[in-house]
Amino acid sequence: MARFISIGERIHVISPVIRKALQERDPKPIVERAREQVEAGANYLDVNIGPADRDGEELMPWVVKLLQQEFPNTPLCLDTANTKALEAGIKVYDRKAGKPIINSADAGSRIGMIDLAAEYDAMVIGLCAKEGIPRDNDERIQYCTEILDRAMAAGLDPENILFDPLFVVVKGMQDKQQEVLEALRQITEMGFKTTGGLSNVSNGCPKELRGLIEATFCAMAIQCGLTSAIVNPLNRMLMDIIKTADVIKGRNLYCDSYLEL
Amino acid sequence: MAYKKPSQKFSGKIREVTVGSGLKLGGESVLPFYKFDGDTGAKPAVGMEIWDVFPESWPQSLKDIFGEYADDPVKWAKFCMEKYNPDFICIRFEGANPEGEDRSPEECARTAERLAGEVPVPLMIAGCDSDEKNAKIFVKIAEALPDKNYVFLSAVEANYKEVGAACGMAYGNIVSAESSVDLNLAKQLNILITQLGVKPEKMVMNPGCAAVGYGFEYVITTMDRIKLAALDQNDATLQMPIVSPVSFETWKVKESAASEEDMPEWGSQEERGIAMEIATAAGVLAAGSNAVILRHPKSVEIIRNFIDELL
Repeated sequence: MARFISIGERIHVISPVIRKALQERDPKPIVERAREQVEAGANYLDVNIGPADRDGEELMPWVVKLLQQEFPNTPLCLDTANTKALEAGIKVYDRKAGKPIINSADAGSRIGMIDLAAEYDAMVIGLCAKEGIPRDNDERIQYCTEILDRAMAAGLDPENILFDPLFVVVKGMQDKQQEVLEALRQITEMGFKTTGGLSNVSNGCPKELRGLIEATFCAMAIQCGLTSAIVNPLNRMLMDIIKTADVIKGRNLYCDSYLEL
Repeated sequence: MAYKKPSQKFSGKIREVTVGSGLKLGGESVLPFYKFDGDTGAKPAVGMEIWDVFPESWPQSLKDIFGEYADDPVKWAKFCMEKYNPDFICIRFEGANPEGEDRSPEECARTAERLAGEVPVPLMIAGCDSDEKNAKIFVKIAEALPDKNYVFLSAVEANYKEVGAACGMAYGNIVSAESSVDLNLAKQLNILITQLGVKPEKMVMNPGCAAVGYGFEYVITTMDRIKLAALDQNDATLQMPIVSPVSFETWKVKESAASEEDMPEWGSQEERGIAMEIATAAGVLAAGSNAVILRHPKSVEIIRNFIDELL
């Protein structure tokens, strides 16, 4: 069984520092954020450039090349709704360290991303949603099936899809947490890989609680089958829990120094 | 529908380590001998064990073969080379044993140097029963034979710092990490040695060896699980080739050591010794050993055929 994959979320256009760096093509802040995440144990780096309507086709290849040059052993997760930008990014992407992940397709307006993943032999996050947050798990599984059908038609091996049941915020949607975990279990039982954004769960909570909430949810989700997550790798507790869960799940052979690896 | 032959593909691969100037160990990305699944890497190597002192304790049948040459390790090694052509020679510094001749590290280094000058195949350098003394002799020998890529058997928990720093780092040889049939410790020791700064390509491992019937199933399951972690989980800390000193174990157990006078119903002592050695070697090879160390020429011949037939 393959180990858990931690996708580092910290290169995101929502961060003012990153936004500015992307706009000005300033490598330093981007490389710095990438380095701190790689050093903290991220297996993949998410690169969110936002919609980038104006210059996405030029911006994505620039940032892909920049990061791969600095971190040749860390594969990337290309995060934008801009198809042209994704295509341009994948075209310059070096697959030595692993396939690129497209973030993301859904069962609605972004279902075409499945075709893109098939065309370029990429992985893709399949959000089990169409418009907004799915009402219940029947809807989630319905969307999951629609994504699968599309993948079959496009010739994309479901191995390349990370299904995201859409994690929801605990502060406000507390009653939905068990449902999300149950969705993970169902998708896992179907034999598929899963992922999700942990920061969704803790959104709006006090800063000192966010790390704990994300780590706890992650541990519970791993027991339900979660195989990867979009994480803040600087959350040391979370990263240690992920490593420990890999040991308890038998995905990594125990030794006294397992946290140091 | 046409039959499609299934094959097991792993994401991991055993690291290829070069011993001496050209003996390659490891490199496989499939289970041992599973050539139908993919790349089996370098052919498992077969080496012969010699000692730095006359092997008084060896059974008479072995002394009948080697006795004439065994007063000098260079003569002994040359005899092995000419007659049996092993892939490597393993010199065991039994004479360094503080309980025995207690030979000095300098003396051991001179012997190793002489041997290195005369033997065309790579050497594996093994110590005596004292971890403390082994650390001392290994440091001197590695210093006398720098950058030879010779394998030092072994770094254990008690001496890995000295052995790793000298053999693996300062003098450019290869460290064998030895643990006693403990999966978690095997991994831990590999990590500790790499954390010292020894490069993984300068390492092999011996996760413990035993003669058949002497906890052998633990040896086999430990090796199996190491290979599966290395291949299936792509665990880089366990992707070192395995070197198994089979003869160190099999010739001391009663099946090999008991004389025909003491055990007439057990039959020929020589045949028993060979059988124990072959059974053990075949077992560890099938569980993933990348090199075995043997004593008896008949074992060398049979194990080599075994490998050739399967690959």
